[in-house]
Amino acid sequence: MRFKHPASASIVLLWGTIRLSAQLATVVPPIPATTSSINSSAPLSERVVHYEIDANYDAEKHTLDATEILTYHNLTGQALDTFPFHLYLNGFQPNSTWVREAKREGARGRVFARWDSASYGAEEIKRLEVIDQGDLTSQLQFIHPDDDNQQDRSVVEVRLPKPVPPDGSVEFRISFHDQFPKTLERTGWNRDFVLGGQWFPKVGVWWHGAWNCHQFHAYTEFFADFGVYDVKLTLPQNEVVGASGVEVGTINQRDGTKTVTYHGEDIHDFAWTASPHYKDYYDIFQSSLGPVKIRIMMQPSHWGQAERHDRIVKATMERFEQWYGPYPYKTLTVVDPEPGSEAYGMEYPTFITGETSWFAPQGFLDLEIVAAHEFGHQYWYGMVATNEFEDAWMDEGINSYSEVKVMDSIFGPRTSLINLAGVTEGDREDQRLGYLPVADLDPMARNGWQYANSASYDGISYGKTALVLLTLESIIGEDTLRQAMHSYFLRYRFTHPTKEDFLRTLEEVSGQDLRWYLHQAVYGTEVLDYEVLQVSSYPVDWYKEQLIESKGRTEYVSNVWIHRKNDFALPVEVEVKFDNGERIREHWDGQDRWMRYSYQKRAKVQSVEIDPEHRIEFDRNNFNNSYIVERVPAPAGKLVNYWTFSSQLLAQFLAWWMV
Amino acid sequence: MHSKTNLISAGTHILGRNKRYILWFYLLNLAFAWAGGIAFSRSIHRILDHSLYADRLLHGFDLAVLEEMIARPEFGPVGSSAMPALMCTVLFFLASILFMPGVLLGYSSDHPISQEEFFRACGLNAWRFVRLCVVFALIAGILTGLLSGIHGTVASALDQYSNDDRLPVLLECATLGLVFLLLTGLRIWFDLGQSDVVLRDQPAVRKSIRWALRITRRHFFALLGSYLVAAIVAGVILLAGIFLWHALVPPDSVLGAFWVSQATLALLLVSRFWQRAIAVAFYLRISTEPETDLSSIPIRLPATPAP
Repeated sequence: MRFKHPASASIVLLWGTIRLSAQLATVVPPIPATTSSINSSAPLSERVVHYEIDANYDAEKHTLDATEILTYHNLTGQALDTFPFHLYLNGFQPNSTWVREAKREGARGRVFARWDSASYGAEEIKRLEVIDQGDLTSQLQFIHPDDDNQQDRSVVEVRLPKPVPPDGSVEFRISFHDQFPKTLERTGWNRDFVLGGQWFPKVGVWWHGAWNCHQFHAYTEFFADFGVYDVKLTLPQNEVVGASGVEVGTINQRDGTKTVTYHGEDIHDFAWTASPHYKDYYDIFQSSLGPVKIRIMMQPSHWGQAERHDRIVKATMERFEQWYGPYPYKTLTVVDPEPGSEAYGMEYPTFITGETSWFAPQGFLDLEIVAAHEFGHQYWYGMVATNEFEDAWMDEGINSYSEVKVMDSIFGPRTSLINLAGVTEGDREDQRLGYLPVADLDPMARNGWQYANSASYDGISYGKTALVLLTLESIIGEDTLRQAMHSYFLRYRFTHPTKEDFLRTLEEVSGQDLRWYLHQAVYGTEVLDYEVLQVSSYPVDWYKEQLIESKGRTEYVSNVWIHRKNDFALPVEVEVKFDNGERIREHWDGQDRWMRYSYQKRAKVQSVEIDPEHRIEFDRNNFNNSYIVERVPAPAGKLVNYWTFSSQLLAQFLAWWMV
Repeated sequence: MHSKTNLISAGTHILGRNKRYILWFYLLNLAFAWAGGIAFSRSIHRILDHSLYADRLLHGFDLAVLEEMIARPEFGPVGSSAMPALMCTVLFFLASILFMPGVLLGYSSDHPISQEEFFRACGLNAWRFVRLCVVFALIAGILTGLLSGIHGTVASALDQYSNDDRLPVLLECATLGLVFLLLTGLRIWFDLGQSDVVLRDQPAVRKSIRWALRITRRHFFALLGSYLVAAIVAGVILLAGIFLWHALVPPDSVLGAFWVSQATLALLLVSRFWQRAIAVAFYLRISTEPETDLSSIPIRLPATPAP
């Protein structure tokens, strides 16, 4: 065996010895307290699980056969006699809940108009044995806690003859067989590429006094306990392999295969990828805890973008460290997945997939956004391990907020998505565009699979959350919110916080009662839409015959009406500008439905603007937030010119070829 | 037409003599586009004219503001703006069919033809041109369909075996290049056919099509070269126009953008009329050559006005 890291090798050998002695005594060994994959001398999480998986991947058939030894440490404070397991790959079957929802909603553009046999996925437990309790394979029962779909096989439960006492441990020995689908939901194969995500039987989380083990849904993600992963992958020698954790060693077999061993600590999932085509790009990020080895696995046709990936990942890591806290792992693997696969834009612990194509001009920052977003998940999901099934907004939304902050800080607020040939778009505007069509469909606080549809899931859990937090900056201040996020991260990293944990932290750090805002924003579906309802100016001496108006001399009475069209109430600033250049700022608490401001001046109102600093990010209609008394036709004229040009060009093109 | 004259310069000469047709076609297109844009214009003026937010479209071009504007209920369904524009595009296409015979007649004459001659040619050949257009569409549709089928087969084979995402794009470009050459070839054929229909007053368009096919095959490369020159000039004009629009016109200059964009379109139109002129020049040359089988049939050129 050839170890790349001698220290890791010693740990594995030591661990092997401990396991051997433990097995001889038929006592379940403790979960290792090793720290070889993290920049820390002590474990960072309360390690509940230890997965030891030995897997053989058949690259021709896209199947995998493996044995899994799962040690579960019962820290629930009560005896446990049932254990649910996720079998995610069973979600890719025609009558599964995942496919039913995907057919109803579409999943990443896949609508399942017809069933493609290549989409079939399966995860079959061949044998499940519990040490000291025997073979319990026959006791396995599929359960359907979310929708009672009897044909869904994505969660299986086993009842143990002997409960596991509090603080006791139990060891499961599972043999399983996987059939990977042609990439769906960021797992599976495409040509000779494979991404192994959600590929092994994974135990649920005991959370708030019950097992939390939801079925696989078309647009929700995952939830799992922290622990240690030791994974051996055997696959063809021509494969370039990357995975969560640190690579401990590689051994070549005579049959043309190789076994690559990985070790990960204080993580709650393990993903891997293999393809003969990857080209590796390496760099080091110096975190405050120690060096982080960055490995970027690029497609050869995208090799020219390796540095771009590296730059954005390092810039994001730097900001996250500065704003929230350090990244404690020794590695970060960034995967540029197979073109045409549905494996792009996904996060796993210490392992993310990006999204790019051969055509990625510098002014299109999609590549950067995806990389920044997926890295952000190392914090909001990876370390602060919220329940992605039930509180999607806490990982996707908080992370989208962080992503906007990172992108804006690097590329500028209105140019952080597109900045090409005079055409611009900001990341926060992109979040807003996702939110607007679904603004009143769902509250942020809702089980992920219970959103009205996938557009609402995206628009609310990603978009609205980001906008709500960006707007919160205007209420408590940008620095205070950053401080709150920092506290939230430090307090809840390596735990499973709830929404109230987050909201309480915001209130505690800001020292303000924010319930009036959070209740509407997080728990409600109220929509915010202010408008300038009416503006008028008339001369004080309007009744006089022969009145001659003169700018600067004639005195006018001006009235301005502001209207709150929808139910979300938020204090706002209003700026009234007069035609002598004078500006007046008003503050309205937004409690009533409308407010009128009256002025008597030697000037007429020129324009009125609600929220002149543009700090409210989720107003449903920004166009009616201001009113210019004298119409300015130039912006529309510009668009009409584009429109006319396009029509003429199309007409000429048609006539060119047809006549 | 003088047989020794280079086709391109002969075409240029004809074009120079008949600039008015380009102007009229350009104005017709502009009028149709303007009419087709009224619904769009009304919608967006209603949303943008009194809003400070619209400034982000004027000084720069904030795509998010545009997307947000289109999503507003006041804007209405996109179809309600797009359909009138599309209909006007079709109207320009129909107008081109209607008036092109007059243009070809004018091109064949060494003096300006009268309005009466122009419109008589238009009326006389309108139905013939419609038939020519239908035949062209059928042939072009079948051939491009075949090419597209071959493209699809090759693309899916490539997709199975190669993970290089540049290959499908290269294949797409190659296919588009082939489609372009194919359509240019067809255009040469039918441009000659149209010239024959008008200048020989040929009511049986199939005869003109057959004759034009024979002639095109015989002189394909000479004609293709001339047509490609005009097409390349058109491509350069379009790119240069867009570049100048971007580089020289300030984002908030609506008038500047109008002039640059309209100049670009007018020059593009010149390129197509140049091709037409080349076809007429070639037609006149070939029909006076002794080996041409239609040379015995007199060409009906407009009468030269009395001095």
